[in-house]
Amino acid sequence: MKVPISWLREYVDFEVPLDALADRLAVAAAEVERIVPVGVADEGGNLEHFVTGRVLEASKHPNADRLQLCQVDVGEPDPAQIVCGAWNFSAGATVAVARPGATLPDGMQLKRVKLRGEISEGMILAEDEVALGSEHDGIMLLADDLSPGTPLVDVLPLADHVLEVEVTGNRPDLLSTYGLAREVAALFDTELRPPPGIDPPVGSSEPVPIEIADSGGCPRYIGRAFSGVEIAESPQWLRTRLHRAGMRAISNVVDITNYVMLTFGSPLHAFDLDRLAGRRVGVRRAESGERLRTLDGVERVLSVDDLLIVDGDRAIALAAIMGGEETEVTEATSNVLLEAANFEPVGILKTSERLALRTEGSNRWEKGVDPHQAALAATYASELLVSISGAVLDSTSDVQAALDPAPRTPFRAARASALIGLEIDAQDQRALLQRLGFEFEGPDGAPDGEWTVTVPTWRARDVTREIDLVEEVARVHGLDRVPFTLPQRRELFGRLTQEQRLRRRVEDALVGAGYSEAYTWSLASDDVDPAALRLPVPLSAEHAVLRTTLSAGLVDAAAHNRDVGNHGIALFEVARVYLPSDEGLPDERWHVGGIVEGGYFVAKSAVDLLHDLVRVEPRFERTSQPTLHPGKAARVAAGWLGEVHPSVLDGGWGMFEIDLATLFADVPERTLYEDVITYPAVHQDLAFVVDRQLPAGDLIEAALAAAGPILREARVFDVYEGDQLPGGKKSIALNVSFQSDAGTLSDEDARVLREKIVARLAEQHGAELRA
Amino acid sequence: MDVQALEEEAQNAIGAAVSADQLETVRVQYLGRNAVLPQALREVRDKETGRTLNEARRRLSEAIDARRDELERDELERRLSEESVDVTLPGTEKARGHLHLITQIRRELEDIFLGLGYEVIDGREVETTYYNFTALNMPTWHPARSPLASLYLDDETVLRTETSPAQIHTMEQRDPPIYMVSLGRVYRRDTPDATHVPIFHQVEGLAIDEGITLADLKGTLRHVMRALFGEDREIRFRTHYFPFTEPSIEPDVSCFLCDGAGCNVCRHSGWIEMGGAGLVDPKLFESVDYDPERVSGFAFGLGLERIAMLRHGLPDLRQLWENDLRLLHQF
Repeated sequence: MKVPISWLREYVDFEVPLDALADRLAVAAAEVERIVPVGVADEGGNLEHFVTGRVLEASKHPNADRLQLCQVDVGEPDPAQIVCGAWNFSAGATVAVARPGATLPDGMQLKRVKLRGEISEGMILAEDEVALGSEHDGIMLLADDLSPGTPLVDVLPLADHVLEVEVTGNRPDLLSTYGLAREVAALFDTELRPPPGIDPPVGSSEPVPIEIADSGGCPRYIGRAFSGVEIAESPQWLRTRLHRAGMRAISNVVDITNYVMLTFGSPLHAFDLDRLAGRRVGVRRAESGERLRTLDGVERVLSVDDLLIVDGDRAIALAAIMGGEETEVTEATSNVLLEAANFEPVGILKTSERLALRTEGSNRWEKGVDPHQAALAATYASELLVSISGAVLDSTSDVQAALDPAPRTPFRAARASALIGLEIDAQDQRALLQRLGFEFEGPDGAPDGEWTVTVPTWRARDVTREIDLVEEVARVHGLDRVPFTLPQRRELFGRLTQEQRLRRRVEDALVGAGYSEAYTWSLASDDVDPAALRLPVPLSAEHAVLRTTLSAGLVDAAAHNRDVGNHGIALFEVARVYLPSDEGLPDERWHVGGIVEGGYFVAKSAVDLLHDLVRVEPRFERTSQPTLHPGKAARVAAGWLGEVHPSVLDGGWGMFEIDLATLFADVPERTLYEDVITYPAVHQDLAFVVDRQLPAGDLIEAALAAAGPILREARVFDVYEGDQLPGGKKSIALNVSFQSDAGTLSDEDARVLREKIVARLAEQHGAELRA
Repeated sequence: MDVQALEEEAQNAIGAAVSADQLETVRVQYLGRNAVLPQALREVRDKETGRTLNEARRRLSEAIDARRDELERDELERRLSEESVDVTLPGTEKARGHLHLITQIRRELEDIFLGLGYEVIDGREVETTYYNFTALNMPTWHPARSPLASLYLDDETVLRTETSPAQIHTMEQRDPPIYMVSLGRVYRRDTPDATHVPIFHQVEGLAIDEGITLADLKGTLRHVMRALFGEDREIRFRTHYFPFTEPSIEPDVSCFLCDGAGCNVCRHSGWIEMGGAGLVDPKLFESVDYDPERVSGFAFGLGLERIAMLRHGLPDLRQLWENDLRLLHQF
């Protein structure tokens, strides 16, 4: 919403500088985009160079066919000679003149110059040259009663500022100059002038029949018939206001409807009355497939939810959004039906969304316009139509459903103070609410500040409860006056859960191991699980399915790094996967996944690390899955690891993915001390010849089972296959450590333990101890 | 035998030895089995001479030890000086990992709120429309509910558009006091560009207790902003509108780059918008059966990516999802 400050000042006085006005509005009312000077620069006496002039003589420039050479009375003893390119005037016209020395809004500085051999002392102005409008085809023609030499700034708003505000959805009342003026008056505690508009006398014609078939969609419809309308360009002040408010001037009738919409925030529409079949209007929902060509020339196909304005037999406007082309006001129009109505917001929002058609009108309606503003708008528009277009008001009618009564709510000033956290005097609260238009029942001096408050109609949607009034008090009294305090705590519970702490430790451990953390999309193009959840309307082809594994994202991330030439690539991600579930919402599980250069054993080292972190001994079993190398893939209770299948990503990458809840399931709440210091460990190396297929893990498992916890560690340190051994055999060398927390182990103890292991391995796996 | 002369000669020889070998030769020469002094000691008969000889031998032995230490020290020094390296050569390469910038910010926020005594709740990402919209007082026609704005799995299931559904779950599960934040991924149907990615991260917080005020929200957010952007930061509240808070405000933090003087980051206003906040609308208490006359609360939300852009100068959010090590290693 753009509001010229001079227009705002018509309704409210304020003395603060403009930037202070902007600051206050921004904090208390609506976002202020900026406040910008417009028009001619008001500095260094620049405005003095702009005056009115009367053309004394105008004739073709002797050396140029397209130029006129004019003698213009600018209020000085001698007329000024001015060369002009426009032809929409002749001798006698009253015009706007910029004299040498003037600086135009585009920065051009006027001088006394020679144009095609003739002196030109200034410029006869078109509206765009002084930023009063966008018209450039002709110069501005001013009222003839102005005497030459009158300062132009007294006649036209040459210099102004425009306030640009962005209003939140709950404040459609601020999408109007008068509404903003009311807010300014409340914020600065100054006088608000009464709303503009005085009803002209009404003729005695039969009113235009209005038939509302859907009073839910259209609770009020004021129709006013005008005759004798003379369609013309609007007067300069009106053109300029619209221009500076960001709207294009079209013709007087249309401009008046727009101007009044900007004044009160209640949009209006003007129909060419003679084109309404049966000279009647109605409001109803569209029939499915019904068509209407709107003002923008687009043929709209309508649905049963769309609200229409109709005449005797067809749609003539898309209610509240855009008029129809057939009944639009044109140069030929002489009788007008002015519509000042009220429409229900949600339906308008839906239609405007469905048709992707947003207009100044729909933008207001969809936020909910006060139906009481329609009457003010009708009155003001009528006054302007009569005074500007010479029209006569023939008839008026106002069809309305029972309008909702203004909301009333109890209000306790003490409650407001308590919630804001600042003691605000009850009478001050009452006064500021009254400035905003809230009405109080009960005596001024109600000692406890408990009242019943009636909400002004223009705030009826937004303010219905005590808490809404608390907001009004807080923002108008001043959010900057609210102190900085902290909640009074009576109970404390600020700590991470064990799972959250472990998740951080997983991240930290991998970072310590040289992995960097990746973030990849929760949505993938596809998933290994055919039941994975799909978006019915995908974000894009690449982002359509809620993933059940982190691996695809990690492969992409690794490939990206390889492709840009990065080295030492090791990435992990801790994120959720979404497993389809029979019970409605998916099972969201935290996974950690990783991808790393170097193949299976590099990945395994990370998996070992993660298990070590939570003191869980993983058991690795051969597995297969399509994305992994068939011979280099394993699973553990909490997940899987392997070498990436070369068809997925070439180059020998290790990858793993672990379900964190499973990994954390057996984590003891606390780790207990074990004595590994007092008594020394006995280390021995044992090599066994076994079948080539036997996994080393099985051998170690058997050794642990045979010796019990006194076998503190058994580690493979060599695997040999070759000529020294019979075919189909391999040798696995283990380093074992025996340690007791009860005493030093003797050689004999060690020998016994070792024999237990040898015997068990022989029995279970046919293992032979090598010499 | 002139003990004194012999000792003097030996002392000179010790002093003249410049290597361990030479010193050993000197030792053998004067104190070895067949040397004059030990011989004499073996043969000595009178006590007086014996003491003199013994003392001389002890002094020489000490002198040899001292000289040996000295030579060893010299030798060590020489060797060490030969081992001198170019100290500017690189350290031994060791793979180095980094947490993602958003994780770093996430943890920082978690720690700030843990310090304020808040719980961290990991809400779910796939939500019902009830928890994502209805319970947050968003009417059926609210634009955020449109499939053009949000990602639906079906009519009643949506990828959470903010992390606040966790607040409703928490309120349902227990009675006040509640002090919680929830952080994580949220989803909107945006077209990716420099400042939008359809997946991004929020922190949203909720405090419900007896006597919670707008002033408490102001104090809390100022603490958070100072923790994030420096101790000199100020904050201000601007009135705003959200369906789930009343009064609603937007907090601004004073620009940490220009300190209010005006720069591009704060669009020459001196203030930077930081999210949304307000007192919890009593309407939200209805469905969880809290008595708004007894308890009140505040809620707030901030974007983690916004912090990344503002504080770290990240120009394009899409880079956060490319996982390029060159970028990851910066933070």
